[in-house]
Amino acid sequence: MGTYVIRRLLQMIPVILGATFLIFTMVFALPGDPLAGKCGERPCPPAYAAAFREKYNLNDPLPIQYGKYVGNLAQGDFGETTNGIKVIDQLKARYPITAQLALMALAFEAIIGITVGVFTGIRRGGFLDNLVLISTLVVISIPVFVVGGLSQYFLGVRLGLFPVTVTSANPTFYQLMLPAMVLGSISLAYISRLTRTSLVENLRSDYVRTATAKGLRRRRAVGLHALRNSLIPVVTFIGFDFGFLLGGAIVTEAIFNIPGVGGYLFRSIRARDGASVVGTVTVLVIVFLFVNLLVDLLYGLLDPRISHD
Amino acid sequence: MTTTQDTTTPSDKTSGVTYTPEDGLLLEVEDLYVEFHTPDGIATAINGVSFDLHQGESLAILGESGSGKSVTAQAIMGILDMPPAVIPGGHIRYCGQDLLSMPEDQRRRTRGPEVSMIFQDALSSLNPVFPVGWQIAEMFRMHRGVNKSDALEQAIRLMERVQIPAARDRVKAYPHQFSGGMRQRIMIAMAIALDPAVLIADEPTTALDVTVQAQIMALLDELQQERQMGLILITHDLGVVADVADRIAVMYAGRFVEKADVVELYSAPAHPYTRGLLESIPRLDQKGQTLAAIGGLPPNLMRIPPGCPFNPRCRRAEDVCRRDRPELREVVPGRFAACHFAEEVINA
Ligand SMILES: Nc1ncnc2c1ncn2[C@@H]1O[C@H](COP(=O)(O)OP(=O)(O)OP(=O)(O)O)[C@@H](O)[C@H]1O
Ligand code: SF4
Ligand SMILES: [Mg+2]
Repeated sequence: MGTYVIRRLLQMIPVILGATFLIFTMVFALPGDPLAGKCGERPCPPAYAAAFREKYNLNDPLPIQYGKYVGNLAQGDFGETTNGIKVIDQLKARYPITAQLALMALAFEAIIGITVGVFTGIRRGGFLDNLVLISTLVVISIPVFVVGGLSQYFLGVRLGLFPVTVTSANPTFYQLMLPAMVLGSISLAYISRLTRTSLVENLRSDYVRTATAKGLRRRRAVGLHALRNSLIPVVTFIGFDFGFLLGGAIVTEAIFNIPGVGGYLFRSIRARDGASVVGTVTVLVIVFLFVNLLVDLLYGLLDPRISHD
Repeated sequence: MTTTQDTTTPSDKTSGVTYTPEDGLLLEVEDLYVEFHTPDGIATAINGVSFDLHQGESLAILGESGSGKSVTAQAIMGILDMPPAVIPGGHIRYCGQDLLSMPEDQRRRTRGPEVSMIFQDALSSLNPVFPVGWQIAEMFRMHRGVNKSDALEQAIRLMERVQIPAARDRVKAYPHQFSGGMRQRIMIAMAIALDPAVLIADEPTTALDVTVQAQIMALLDELQQERQMGLILITHDLGVVADVADRIAVMYAGRFVEKADVVELYSAPAHPYTRGLLESIPRLDQKGQTLAAIGGLPPNLMRIPPGCPFNPRCRRAEDVCRRDRPELREVVPGRFAACHFAEEVINA
């Protein structure tokens, strides 16, 4: 187990290097002048351009540029945005918001998804089952911005149940509720389907028959024996989804005006703000890798047949 | 499975009902029918089966795949999936009380302390995510309200009783960490935990190596003698149960076609199907020739042929066999067979 974790951590290093290198190359080396648009419609004054190139090592060959960047990164220096703000400060301000939104979306999709999945799984083929089957299909096939826009209009504007948009740099729990629900809606649909399928399959299994033959109450045979097994793939899915959610939700953040990393990354790309893009992506890659490792470890805990050695 | 009306009693130790066998008679199955209602039609899997089981007695149920052995066992345990299963007729009495008309919660409480069952595939029949000791201890905790640590202690003693080496060290291990034979011992430990009066073993050794098969059968035999259980041994291989069983019921297409004492049946079968099964027991000098003696397939249970269900495959079949259904009847004292020509078969 210990050696497994160390091996996985070591494996992350080449992945992080590879990912940052790819992003770095794309942002800094692909066609287009990093200075374009920096000084309005006109080209930048030569002195400014020279200073800019110096600061971002743009005169070095690409591998050297990358080497210098990684060197700074290893010391915790993520560079500065084109406005001269430290990227790390930007992330520090925004990541907690994204993380809070992710956790809220996760709680929403997990609690409701599993509950719905269990009830439809037990009463397979019933009215609720069919209703859920159809509505999950609908949710899965509609793009997020439609779900977001509609819920914003009906739940926010018409019914006034939720704030329509976020209005401060530090959104409240209440302001994030509707965005979290929109963000979690697609995964909610997947989780309820996955829970249902998995439960139905496990209800047919030999060990549930054994549980019945042991004279256990049905509630225990289903709610403990079958469910404990059914949740293995569900919890794994939720874990991976958490990794994705922590990457920021560009569309949802844009609809609800949430100052998270998704929107930041989006604006940085549009502004060709190389340091911000590479810095943010690097952090997201590292977070994603760590969450994946945690999910794999969790999987080993959930299913004793998986061994990590 | 029928839906249960769960009551909120914390454990079942106060269930209050006691079962006392009269003259050692534990189980009476009387004219039992089981149907499966499927989209393709109604399959009659059990077609009027009757038998008794006494304390200390072991009955083997022998038959080909699909003959209805497991369905019989599951009907007795009350673990058939209903739907698709329907029990349109018959009685299953345990110590004089009809299990089929009993309230579901009362019936549930008989599973484990009164009637218990072992399955063919111990790996899939044990829950993969719980330690084996926990799964055995669950019997004491749920039925008797024993606390966790005492229940685990009793589980260890049971694991020792079924000869699992280093039981104390292995009580927290998971099913996949045991060999097939050890897993079946764990199933047995779980099934006998509450000292049931009736133990049903549905092909307990089919998934195992020959040497391990013999060990498991010996263990079952020993436990049965020790506790005077009524044992129902389901098998498609007469060779495996011959040493343990007292009586044999031969099953074909959901019916008993022959019932007899094991030695008598062995020496002179009274039904052509039994004869075919005996001839098909593999012998060392003719490897790989199993079941060569009976050609053809069992009938489709949705269209059982008129007359004797075995007639399409029977070498002795005559016109009467295609017309009249032979009932199970006493051919000579203590020997029952469902064949128009049983007297001739038994003397052949
Ligand atoms: N859930 C079910 N739905 C429909 N038919 C079923 C179901 N369970 C069993 N049957 C049918 O009932 C018949 C008897 O099955 P059963 O499992 O009792 O056979 P068996 O004698 O135990 O055979 P095997 O040696 O293969 O275990 C089979 O023809 C089977 O197709
Ligand atoms: S009744 Fe006829 S067909 Fe049936 S087993 Fe006897 S001889 Fe064969
Ligand atoms: Mg079977």
